[in-house]
Formats: sequence, structure tokens, C-alpha cells
Amino acid sequence: MTSKKYFQGEGPWSDADQLVLYLDTGSWRSMRPVVEVESCIYCGLCALFCPTQCMINKNGEYFEPNLDFCKGCGVCAKECPRGAIIMKPEGEFNDE
Amino acid sequence: MTSKQQDQVMVITGNAAAAYGAMLCSPDVVATYPITPQTEIIEKLFEFSASGELDAEMVPVEGENSAMNVVTASAMAGGRVFTATSSWGLAFMYDAMLAASGTRAPVVMVNVNRETPGIIAVSSGQQDMISTRDSGWISLIAESCQEILDQVIMAYRLAEDYDIQVPVMVNYDGFYLSYMAERVEVPPLKVVTDFLSVLKDQPQRQVLLPGKPFGCGSHGILQGYVELRHKHVQAMERAKEKFDAIDKELENHFGRSYGGQIEEYRTKDADIVLVASGSMCGTIKTVIDRRRDEGLRCGLVRLRMYRPFPWERLVQVLKGKKGIGVVDRSVGFGLQGGPIYVEVSSLSAKFGDIPIMSFIDGIANTDVTADHCEQMIDQVLAAAQGEEYPELTWVCLENGQE
Repeated sequence: MTSKKYFQGEGPWSDADQLVLYLDTGSWRSMRPVVEVESCIYCGLCALFCPTQCMINKNGEYFEPNLDFCKGCGVCAKECPRGAIIMKPEGEFNDE
Repeated sequence: MTSKQQDQVMVITGNAAAAYGAMLCSPDVVATYPITPQTEIIEKLFEFSASGELDAEMVPVEGENSAMNVVTASAMAGGRVFTATSSWGLAFMYDAMLAASGTRAPVVMVNVNRETPGIIAVSSGQQDMISTRDSGWISLIAESCQEILDQVIMAYRLAEDYDIQVPVMVNYDGFYLSYMAERVEVPPLKVVTDFLSVLKDQPQRQVLLPGKPFGCGSHGILQGYVELRHKHVQAMERAKEKFDAIDKELENHFGRSYGGQIEEYRTKDADIVLVASGSMCGTIKTVIDRRRDEGLRCGLVRLRMYRPFPWERLVQVLKGKKGIGVVDRSVGFGLQGGPIYVEVSSLSAKFGDIPIMSFIDGIANTDVTADHCEQMIDQVLAAAQGEEYPELTWVCLENGQE
């Protein structure tokens, strides 16, 4: 058996006080949200709508997806009132 | 210290005994929907609630499916919960039962055994319990009204134990035990509270607290799912010895004990052993006593725990016997024998190559009479002496009235 534990407790319980981050949803991603920091007005809508709750608050200035968990659904880009988040194909990145 | 001196002796039905058992454990939430032959439990609990003896949130739901969802959610919110059902009702809450066990909610439920939908049979049979075999629930079976009361109390110790956290279903034969009144010693609330107080000393299980939200029923796909299934199966394994231990503690507190996972009745030097469960065991014991007087070394293993299946103890007690008969109060569709027979016979590699016979009797209120028990013992005896024998015998069919 793998030594990695996905759940700390006995059941399918997760800590909703922090983030609901316990699945390897990052591996599902084919499109990556890229935040144009200068356009971001820190309204927080992307973080509110993000299904995996993976938007990281960057010092109260802007938000950025945690790519370990971002599944590339594009909800943040759709909801951003400033159009500051652009979905780009994963193939354009060579960081993996 | 036992409660014996302070026990209130009553003559009550099995259903009332279940209600007393539940009431004495002081549940926080009771959600139930009526169904024959279980309804009396609900009536009784509402009486307790009205009189102030039971201080619980009583939720009269619109169906069994809701009942199970209400108690599951309440249990995960930290409450002690109770529900009761039977047959159709059990079938109607099946998906919610899977959710209860999957989320490891320590629900305690009484299931009054009754035949299942299709052929309208308002009659006894364990088919409903059998159909939930792989639901991940712990399943217990009681023989008498007293045992019903005690088993409900034990069920809370088992379900809510920090090392277990698995829902528990207490089964007993509808119509026979549900409506039959027997002498029952009802322990004082204080003794039951003492018995359950062990749970308070354990670490706090995961519950929903105000201001501290947690995700329940979270995704666990691939390895996450494997991990949780493995944990659940391990907990079921632990439940067996835990149940034996709780049974011993019951003796200290209440002055009664039943043998834990199985009751071994005159099996020690027995050559012929019947394996059975539920109310029919009273009759079987009487017949065994009679045959013992005649010099036949026979005994009974009474299954008190259906899931997890107590195979270790069964192997221990059945090893060295000359013939075994397994009595099922249900049928095994597509199985060559009753469901419990199939499980017992699967152990033969561990206890030796001896004749094992399957008897189906008592389904749909066909009484398991003393005559039937004599026949079964005779047939197992003949098989043990080398005669050819059928694997499966429908005792209730062959003895059917014209």
C-alpha cells in the first residue's frame, strides 16, 4: 500500500475551514488560467467561484491559482469582471 | 456492580424492549417512519418523548430514505441517533444506508426482520437483513426481548467507539419477537449511562462544530477511495473482538452476557451442531436439551453477529465436529443453499471436511417447530454417520400443510 494518506481521519472527511484540497485535480488540467496582475482589482470573485477553492490570496493584492489543484475549468476566467484571467493551453507552457 | 437489584422487571414486547433500550441511551435525534412490524417502537418512543422521559429531537419524516439521511447527518453533527425500520422501509433507505456507512456515521438502527417486497408477505424472515449484507453496516441478531434491549445498548458502544465508527443494525424476527411479550429486566438509566460513559473518555470523533465547518462525504477517487475502503474494512475486523469485549462488560454492569459474536450452546463435546440465529434458537435449544437427555451429543451455535462475519470463532467451535446443519430464515438466490450456510461452508477448508447441510426454514412465518428441529438434527446425524445427504433441504416446504 502506498504510504501517502489522502484522508487524515477514518472517513471521507475534509477540513472545509481551510481548503478542500485533497485530490490531485491539478493533473486534470488542459487549460491554465493566467492572471494579468495589473488588471486584477482584488475583488475575490474568482476565489469565491473556484470549485476547488485553489485561488491563493497574494498579500491582499491579487489572486493566483494553486496549480497543484487547479483543474483548468475556467470558471475564474468567466467570472472575472475585469477579464484579467486568460485561459491558455497547457501545451504553451514548458514548466513541467 | 450490577444493576440486577435495581432493575425494573416488565412484561413487554420485543418492540417495546427496543424502544426502552434506545430511550435509556438518551439519543439526541430520533427520525423514523412507521412500517409493520416495527411501528410500535416509534409509538413507544413518542410516548417517552411526550412524557418527558426522552429528551430527543423527534423527526417524523415522510419516508425511510429521509429517516436514514436525517440520522446520518445528525450523527455527523455529533449527535447520538436512533431509527428503526423493516423490510420495504429498509429497501427504501438502502442508498442512504450506504451513505451512512460510507461517511462512517455511527448510526444505530433497529431492523425488525420481515420478508421483502415482491410477494406481499406481512410475515417474518431475514431476507431484508441478508439483502444489506454488503452495505458496510455491522449487523447484529437478537434471540429474545431481553437481548433486544441489551443489544440496542451494546450497539451504541460499538457504533460510537472511536476505533470502530461504523453504523450498527440490530435485527430481530418480526411478528415472533416484535409482538411477543416476555419478561424483561429494564435497567435504570444511571447504569446504562455508566455503561456508555466509556465513550466520553475516548478522543473526540470528527463532528461538525459551529464555526468549524468540515466536508463530509468528500470525494475519494482512485487511491483515496482505496484508502477509505481499506480503513472501513479494518474497522469491521476490529468490531468482532470489540463486540466480545463489550459483551463481557455488559455482564459486569447488567449481570447478563450472551457470548459475544456467537453463543455456544452445549457445543463443547457435541458431535452434531446446528448453526442458526434469531428467535428459532429458543426452540432449537429445547430440542437439543431433549436429545442430550437421550444421549445424543448435539449443540447449537447461535450467530449474534452477521456482519462482520465471525469466522474465526466459528472455525474454533466447529473444528472437530462430525456434522453441521446451518438453518437459514432466508433464501439464497442463485446459491446452492441458504446465505449463511454458504458462508459457513466456505470455512470448511479451515475446520475440516465434514458434512454440512443447508436448511431453509421459517421464511414467511412458517414456524420453525420442534419437529422441524428434530428432523434437522436427525438428518445431520445420518450424514455424519456416512449416509448420502442433500446439500439443501427446504424444511418449510417439505413440512408444508395441505
